[in-house]
Amino acid sequence: MTGRTGTETQRAPLWERRADAVLGVAASAILFGMMTLTFADVVLRYVVNRPLRGAFEITELMMLVLIFAGLPLVTHAGEHVTMDLVDRLLGARARRALVRAVELACAALMALLAWLMWLKARTISGYGDTTDVLRVAVGPFVYFMAAMILLSALVHVFKAFAADRR
Amino acid sequence: MIEGLAGLAAMLALAFLRVPIAFAMAIVGTAGYAWMRDWNWTVAFAMVQTNVYETGRNYTLSVVPLFILMGTFVARAGIAQELFRAAYAFVGHLRGGLAMATVLACAGFGSICGSSIATAATMAKVAYPSMKRFHYSDRLAAGAIAAGGTLGIMIPPSTLMVIYGVFTETNIGRMFAAGILPGILGAALLCAAVQWSCLRDPRAGPPGERVPWRERALALRGIWPVAALFVFVIGGIYGGLFTATEGAGMGAFGAMAFALWRRALGWQTLYASLVESGRTTAMLFMILIGALIFADFVNITTLPGDLKDFVARFGVHPVLVVSAIMAIYVLLGTAMEELSMVLLTLPVFFPLIVGLGLDPVWFGVLVVTIVEIGLISPPVGMNLFVLSTLLPQVPTTTVFRGVLPFMAADVARLAILIAFPAISLWLPGLMK
Repeated sequence: MTGRTGTETQRAPLWERRADAVLGVAASAILFGMMTLTFADVVLRYVVNRPLRGAFEITELMMLVLIFAGLPLVTHAGEHVTMDLVDRLLGARARRALVRAVELACAALMALLAWLMWLKARTISGYGDTTDVLRVAVGPFVYFMAAMILLSALVHVFKAFAADRR
Repeated sequence: MIEGLAGLAAMLALAFLRVPIAFAMAIVGTAGYAWMRDWNWTVAFAMVQTNVYETGRNYTLSVVPLFILMGTFVARAGIAQELFRAAYAFVGHLRGGLAMATVLACAGFGSICGSSIATAATMAKVAYPSMKRFHYSDRLAAGAIAAGGTLGIMIPPSTLMVIYGVFTETNIGRMFAAGILPGILGAALLCAAVQWSCLRDPRAGPPGERVPWRERALALRGIWPVAALFVFVIGGIYGGLFTATEGAGMGAFGAMAFALWRRALGWQTLYASLVESGRTTAMLFMILIGALIFADFVNITTLPGDLKDFVARFGVHPVLVVSAIMAIYVLLGTAMEELSMVLLTLPVFFPLIVGLGLDPVWFGVLVVTIVEIGLISPPVGMNLFVLSTLLPQVPTTTVFRGVLPFMAADVARLAILIAFPAISLWLPGLMK
């Protein structure tokens, strides 16, 4: 349940902060959009008796983008829920070694997941899957999902070796 | 049976070795699934793909980020001060009055915020300085904030209830309705714990000043936006005006409008609220995806079925079963993060509950209560961690000791809720 705090992130190199900001702006815009869309949908339904066409589908796809754009951010900030009881039993060096091993294991898992989602994306694109009402192609969203998971894998690798510097 | 237990043990071992809990569940779930299918990794990978994809693209789950966003907005709007002032106006002059006011203000805040951590963090900034001004002991002050904060997930809206609802396919609106009375009961019992603490140490919670009725009315008027937002959002969901997701969207929008009106929201803070909520969402969804993968593994082991048979064969009384489950949770909750604990064990316990003919809504309320206890149980209760971070001047051991009477009150509430299911089920029963 520990994580790097906001102030530490501010001391990170410029490119790290920029990467954080790009994904942060994307996630924020999506979340803001989801809120506004839901609000507009309900208001239009009750006031002019005409709900937004396909609001449901758009929300679904926005949800996907929000979660997976947020994933590298969470990984970078070290906000994944972790039990750190073992820290009290280990010395500083053993702890660093363990943290590095865990980061690499997470990177491997994320790389596997990215590959699996990439295959899924290819299948979905191959069928030419679209949403029911607005006919939005779903494939690119799943590719985005795979790409963000891969990015998270890279962040884990980066963190495994950056641990020494900090 | 053995496979399921081995999976649970392996998952806990990985988590103990600092592997993030979501990842530990995903790793063991995937490997376990392949193992159960004679090391057929293709089907295991297909199961993983489906879980990741369908959890990501899920309309019902969009209720989670929207309620988180609503809570973040109201926390920024600075309404906590008004809630505390209003509660103080009514009970502040009593012994331990400020601590009781803290609990009541937490309950009020919980009615528009679905997170216990946010509730405790927000109230700490308001209530702790006031209690210090009246020379409250740190023990009582910290205990009241940490324990009061946990009401955030019982009183609707509640992020945990949403996740429980999605995970077990229980109606979220019903869950919300079910949380209202147990939340009020919880607040009352926490106030009783304040009184008990003051009886033991009269200097811990001296009374504040009596507030005349005219000012009480004024203070009440200060909290109308909270009442309006609660009635609108929860009332709207309860009355069937809109779905839980729509209610969350309306609530987030209303909270934003409210924060703008109070001039508490600029571009910077708007962005910060959105990013913070987005990150919390991503973090929760990783746990959810990990838990779903793990659940698929547990479901193809014989563990849930064996447990059901065992209970049926020996004719164990349902209340005893529920009590045993709760005892396991209290023990696990001292060491584990609560949401992961619940999601990890639900695939095993939930079929048992349904099989015994018990109401999933009622069990959900019990689970929320258990999580509340877990949040304040030393050494790793999340709310205690939040308080130690926000109030560095209060020693951790003081926080630990201060919270004990409140834990006792929560355990008493759990017993009452088990004994009288009607407290949880009466309000959802009135819904159409």
